[in-house]
Amino acid sequence: MSPQPLPSLKGFAVTLRQIFRKPITQEYPEYKRPVYPRFRGRHRLNLHDNGLEKCVGCSLCAAACPADCIRVVPAENTPQNRVSPGERYARIYEINMSRCIFCGYCELACPFDAITLGNEYELSEYHRDDQIYTKEMLLAPPIKQVPVADRERYDTPEPVWKTES
Amino acid sequence: MSAPAVELVTVNVDGREVQVPKGTGMIETALAAGVEIPVFCYEPRLGPPVGACRMCLCEVEGMPKLQAACTLTAQDGMELRSAQTSAKAAEGQNAVLEFILLNHPLDCPDCDKGGECPLQDLTFRWGPSNTRMHFPKRTFEKPIPISPTISLDRERCILCYRCTRFSEGVSEDLQLVAAHRGAQSIITTFEEEPYRAHFSGNVTELCPVGALLPSTYRFRARPWEIDNTPTVCGLCPVGCNTWATTREGKVQRILSRNHPEVDDGWLCDKGRFTFDHLRAEDRLREPLVRVRRRGFEAVGYDDAVREVARGLREAGGSVAIAFSGGETVEQASALARLVRQGLGGDAAILPDDLDPAVDAFRAPLSAIRDAEICLVLGDEPVMERAPIVDLWLRAARRAGAEVVTVGPAGSVSTPPGSAAATSAELAGGGGSDELRDAGRRLREASRVAIVWSGDDHDSGRRAATLAASLGLGDGSGLYVLPRSPNGRGVAQAWYEAGEGRGFDPSGEEELGALIVSGDEAAYDPRVAQLAERARFVFATSMFTGDHTLWAHVVAPGTSYLERDGTVVNLEGRAQRQRRVVDPPHLDELELLARVGTELGVPIAPWAAEATVDDHAELAPRAQLEAPPEFAPAASTNGAGPGLELVVYRPLFSGPGVERVESLAFQRPAPEIELAHADAQARGIATGDTVTVGLNGSGRALRAAVRRKLRPGVARIAAEHADGLGSHVEVTKA
Ligand code: SF4
Ligand code: SF4
Ligand code: FES
Repeated sequence: MSPQPLPSLKGFAVTLRQIFRKPITQEYPEYKRPVYPRFRGRHRLNLHDNGLEKCVGCSLCAAACPADCIRVVPAENTPQNRVSPGERYARIYEINMSRCIFCGYCELACPFDAITLGNEYELSEYHRDDQIYTKEMLLAPPIKQVPVADRERYDTPEPVWKTES
Repeated sequence: MSAPAVELVTVNVDGREVQVPKGTGMIETALAAGVEIPVFCYEPRLGPPVGACRMCLCEVEGMPKLQAACTLTAQDGMELRSAQTSAKAAEGQNAVLEFILLNHPLDCPDCDKGGECPLQDLTFRWGPSNTRMHFPKRTFEKPIPISPTISLDRERCILCYRCTRFSEGVSEDLQLVAAHRGAQSIITTFEEEPYRAHFSGNVTELCPVGALLPSTYRFRARPWEIDNTPTVCGLCPVGCNTWATTREGKVQRILSRNHPEVDDGWLCDKGRFTFDHLRAEDRLREPLVRVRRRGFEAVGYDDAVREVARGLREAGGSVAIAFSGGETVEQASALARLVRQGLGGDAAILPDDLDPAVDAFRAPLSAIRDAEICLVLGDEPVMERAPIVDLWLRAARRAGAEVVTVGPAGSVSTPPGSAAATSAELAGGGGSDELRDAGRRLREASRVAIVWSGDDHDSGRRAATLAASLGLGDGSGLYVLPRSPNGRGVAQAWYEAGEGRGFDPSGEEELGALIVSGDEAAYDPRVAQLAERARFVFATSMFTGDHTLWAHVVAPGTSYLERDGTVVNLEGRAQRQRRVVDPPHLDELELLARVGTELGVPIAPWAAEATVDDHAELAPRAQLEAPPEFAPAASTNGAGPGLELVVYRPLFSGPGVERVESLAFQRPAPEIELAHADAQARGIATGDTVTVGLNGSGRALRAAVRRKLRPGVARIAAEHADGLGSHVEVTKA
């Protein structure tokens, strides 16, 4: 017998009670639990309506990133090869997902809303090299889709910059 | 000589009392009181303030309106209130910033200045947070390449006139001007001509916004993505202090790093833009060993070291070495010890061989600016040999000094090659009236600067003799311009490793082995001739060239941005050169250390941490043993038919510069400079095509008529003088 019989018995009681409850285990990956609408997952690079990239390669996201996982190498737009509006575009845009901490600072820093964090969280790979997401991968819609909970049910206010400017 | 007593005045800045010497600028006075006044156009190195931007508005007790602080100087009892304590000044400053930003595109994400932009910083700290401008902004075509190395964005320009003031009052090239008026004012060059000047790149550093930017740095990196390494330029004997910016292991730009005694924060375009040669296509990356009939074969370092050691050992002491003058002291000393102590050789071609006597008149370059009278001797334009020295001379002239240039294009005209004879005349008080006059003024002045710029300098002995006989004391200086960036350091290292001087390569006997160190040496025709007599030739070079036809082992060399060591500039100042990026192969010093191991000479494969990084100091003056006597002057070229040709080595030349595309426009045009009288006699005007040569055979060049040039003399850049003799006939084509 343990020197403190009463607390031990209390503990056993909790265990006993749980045995008869319905398990809350979810059969992932067959069943994917919806994430909150503002969940911060894998990034996306966005396009303008006319197909040009929003990103101008200013590297502000790289400056804001506390994990130092963004690499931007800019280049100049030419009439033959126009990638973004303005003079400059990102020739290379890479995010190292194995270092990213999904803080969303890059999204805040971006003056053009070019980079936003999506909802996808299934980012495991067999090789670390595959964790480096190139511009093409970030521009394309994600392959693995994650269900998102009903926006209406959560308080997601319109951002100030959308309502006031 | 005691310094004149300075009168101190008391000034009150934002309620804080400070004492400063009378006449100190208000910006500095406020700084002394711990108050920062924001500025755009104020830059003391550009001469008197102009008060163009009005960013520095302050309230001064007793003056009804706001004053531009940068245009004021400290007076006794002055009370100044900056925007930090005066609401009126703060309002004025906000209004100024709002005005500056009125037409400013604010395309910071696109702009390369973003992150290191004074306009961004000051707007962030002092400016209004909003604008009331609702009209479309003024636009210009952009960017405009005002030269292949600089692009101009007129929308971003805030008209502070820093760039035009530099062009007008510092480099005096007068090429950048402001045109039109009011909001339509623009910075421009003359009629679409490129901004072609030796110091043009400095305006990109002066511009406080992203209006003038180096095209070579366009969209390369942001300030938070780069590393800046302090180093020293290794391309001319001045040794300007620089920052080398790297991103991801590549050099992206070179910035100046102000050493007030050497460069005053200026940098020539050669130093600023030549870094691209690191990525030249014909760079050697592996050691090459000659294999009979198959030409060269790339080998590993083990094989190369073995091959070099074998070749040198078999030479049996008959070894010669040719230096480039760009090596670090450590490299040169390793080579010298290898040859003199390891192999018993005693022959070297030294690019420069200055006599220690010149060190008795050593002074910092900044002493030129404070001189009363400057004397420039020699055939070579100072600008082409050591450009910063030319800037100091201009600064001296602006400060009121008299600059006497003696040479074929000088204010006192002398025949080419006569610097030695002239110096004897100057010292002895003889020669023409002009010369005698100049000699008298030189002797009377207490602060004199003598610049010797020519190849006939007899190791600088003659220059030292002249300096001694003119009685140069403290505050005066003698500057003998070497031919190569570290020629002085290399010669020093060579002598320290053993006895005896360099040698004369014009012999006939066979040579056991020849070591060619660096590209400059490899391109030297004298060295190529010497190589023909050598049984074994070992060369190190960055690039492929003719020497890859005659050398037996070629090891890849490094650039001055890829090695660590000490360099000695023309003043005799030892400065630290830093490895900015790793070379794509072993560096020379490591290779030499391995060869040394084979030959039994201990060589450290790295440079000791002896010399300092920052603001290297000048060693004290050496003692002058008995002042040397004038040796009889070497005879000049003598008479000949036609015009006497003066060949100079242009600044924008050499193996590195030749491989940088964006500097091609700076290379000398295929041009021959003619004296006014000669041109008139032949009916030639500037721009005409002329035939240059002797006995009918000749080449076509463009003529440029120079009023200053001495009649009977023609001047030409070395790269266009191939195969021309000492005299040429020039006829209109
Ligand atoms: S000059 Fe400065 S403020 Fe203007 S766009 Fe460039 S970074 Fe922005
Ligand atoms: S280009 Fe730059 S340095 Fe020249 S006036 Fe405009 S803002 Fe000033
Ligand atoms: S800094 Fe004083 S007016 Fe520009």
